[in-house]
Amino acid sequence: MTNRRQSRWAIALASFLTCCCGLKAQDVMLVANKNVHVSEIKTSDVRAIFTGEKTRFADGSHAVPVTLKGGPAHEVFVKHYLGESPDEFRAQWRKAVFTGQGAMPRVFDSEAALIAYVADTPGAVGYVSRVTPDDNVKLLVALK
Amino acid sequence: MHRCIALVLAGCILAAPAFAQDLSGFQFHGFVTQGFLFSSHNNYLTMQSSSGSLQWTDGAVSISDSVSDSLRVGIQLHMYQLGQLGGPNVRVDWALGDYKINDYFGVRAGKVKTIVGLFNDSQDVDAVFLWSLLPQSCYPIDNEGFYLAHTGGDVYGYVALGKRIGGLRYDGYVGEDYLPLDGGYIKQLADDGLQFTNEPSGKNYGGDLRWETPLQGLMLGYSPMVMGLNGTSASGSLRVPTFLMTAQYAQYTRGKFYFGFEYDRVPVSEIVTLSTEVISFPVDARSWYGMGRYRFTKKIQAGSYYSQYVNKATDTSLPQNYSKDWVVSGRYDFNSYFYAKLEDHFLHGTGLGYYASTNPNGLKPNANILAAKIGFSF
Repeated sequence: MTNRRQSRWAIALASFLTCCCGLKAQDVMLVANKNVHVSEIKTSDVRAIFTGEKTRFADGSHAVPVTLKGGPAHEVFVKHYLGESPDEFRAQWRKAVFTGQGAMPRVFDSEAALIAYVADTPGAVGYVSRVTPDDNVKLLVALK
Repeated sequence: MHRCIALVLAGCILAAPAFAQDLSGFQFHGFVTQGFLFSSHNNYLTMQSSSGSLQWTDGAVSISDSVSDSLRVGIQLHMYQLGQLGGPNVRVDWALGDYKINDYFGVRAGKVKTIVGLFNDSQDVDAVFLWSLLPQSCYPIDNEGFYLAHTGGDVYGYVALGKRIGGLRYDGYVGEDYLPLDGGYIKQLADDGLQFTNEPSGKNYGGDLRWETPLQGLMLGYSPMVMGLNGTSASGSLRVPTFLMTAQYAQYTRGKFYFGFEYDRVPVSEIVTLSTEVISFPVDARSWYGMGRYRFTKKIQAGSYYSQYVNKATDTSLPQNYSKDWVVSGRYDFNSYFYAKLEDHFLHGTGLGYYASTNPNGLKPNANILAAKIGFSF
């Protein structure tokens, strides 16, 4: 119960901070399900997984990308890791969906919901602002 | 044939949840648009556009399910009305099973969208574009159903070649193509006295190769496609001997800018038989466009393109053998779901988009066309 309360405070603090300050690339961290074997991931692989070019991590295991609906962490992630704007990112996935070439990543309204899904889903990988701690997911180190 | 495939795939989709562990891979999406077209002279795209026309609606729903990590099945149903084209019939836009063995190799089978050039497979997905009308030289909306999709199979994949070389995305396919009965070519043939009750069809095969260059945002591509068509009716027949069409294209995205360029060539000979009369229509279509777009804010984007079509097999000085179109366009996104578009065309030549039946008094060589659209997508 105490952990859950601390977690809520941390999420509230994260929301406050992201509203007050502009996030930078280093303020967004990659999180994955604990059964994901890799601990490091190339930035190019992050881009490939979140744009649908790749569906597997470097070790061959299946990757399930998940995204936030919006907000500073989403904007920073899309711009820094994918080199796109959130609108282009959405348009790209719409194109994949309506041409039958792909299925859109699951989208979450909040970082807490994203973390809960990543914690429960084998292969899941997402991103949250650095001030949102959670022991139920694994942090991935992004390599240039 | 494609009805059978659609039924089988629809059955797979309905049955898939029973076998899947959960419904987490199930997705349901859709879009609907309403357009308005007004032209200063001539009636465009089978509409009474010189008086202003709202006969421009389309919509689609798609459902898909990830049955396993490697297998995805899905179907999209599409309906459109464009003047006298389209109508109340719901058609299967695509219906496929997609088995991705690894990132280098996957297989799609069923009715699959055909990848040619930058936009062939997505030309009927209005929500992803700034433009109300894509460059008509390469993507004529009145004939978008022709080689939009094939019934057959594709192999596809992505090969990363390292930081210095970039990556290659490939797609190869073989299948059968159909000339839709509610499309522009069939209407033109009907206006000439050749009416079909069954879709002319033919085998096609081809591929698409895209090089994502090491310069981030720059992509170059090439799409060759071989196809032919045969159709018979009580009043005559249509035969299009096998021909090769090619598309070369490039796109560059940097920040808020997008640039696209494409050149298509379609050398084809249409042989129409009406009773005992055999008429040959030689076509050597050279089509290209260059476009640029800028996103001013999250909600506002604007851009312009120039699109040109010329039939080199004929006298290119005559307006009916070319079409040159300058376009300016703007789009406003109210939110993630709703958007509106406004577009102006300065059109020279009558080689594309005009029909004798809606222009009984002949055509003027130039026209200005205003297009407006609202859309909803989820």
